[in-house]
Amino acid sequence: MQWVETEETVRFNEVDEWGMAWYGNYMAWFEVGRMALLERFDLMPGQMVNLGFIAPIIKLTCDYKKPAKCGDRIIIRTTVFKPEIAALNFIFEIVLQADRSVLARGETTQVLLTTDKKMIYRLSGELAERVNQLIDYCCQN
Amino acid sequence: METIVSDTNRLRTFLKQMIVETLKLEDITAEKIDGDAPLFKEGLGLDSIDALELVVAVEKHFNVIIEDENVGKEAFASVNVLAGFIQKMFSGVSKSRMRLSG
Repeated sequence: MQWVETEETVRFNEVDEWGMAWYGNYMAWFEVGRMALLERFDLMPGQMVNLGFIAPIIKLTCDYKKPAKCGDRIIIRTTVFKPEIAALNFIFEIVLQADRSVLARGETTQVLLTTDKKMIYRLSGELAERVNQLIDYCCQN
Repeated sequence: METIVSDTNRLRTFLKQMIVETLKLEDITAEKIDGDAPLFKEGLGLDSIDALELVVAVEKHFNVIIEDENVGKEAFASVNVLAGFIQKMFSGVSKSRMRLSG
């Protein structure tokens, strides 16, 4: 499995009263990782719209293992796994840069709709080509 | 699989079983599915992700392709409608194969 890694620093405005990163911020970090990966395969949201598609999230899970704190350098690791259905499945890991300990693990599922909101059941054409390149890259050993 | 497709009752029973197994339905058995009830919303209450899984199952078992939601809405109206859709598509596939081989 091939992961794309992006670094961030936990900001003061991202921690709660207890000094821990607020749980919702992990979703924003997942999004940083998703963009870093999609950018490599010309699948950024705007580029997908140009192809005539959008990819809304229909499922999100997150396991919190250890709290991130203000000033922590974190690494957002992102990959996708091969779906059996016409969907995009991302996996995320947030790890502490200092010791690579895992802070959180998450997954999202996206379905594919045409820009006029019709769900597609099979990928074809340019979209299929780019998505397959993304999956092949991430699923290589 | 061709023998099942040509036997409407067997096909309908097979599809009910396929739906229960594919979607791992726990609160309904294949026997309890009403062949004329809508699969989505007020009938079996399936959602759009269930449709994606059924599309894969239909393609795997019958080599019948359901491209998108437009076709899906028609094909997944009920078990009986789906059976008719598969029969229609399947005969089209067989005929085109016969033409190719003949």
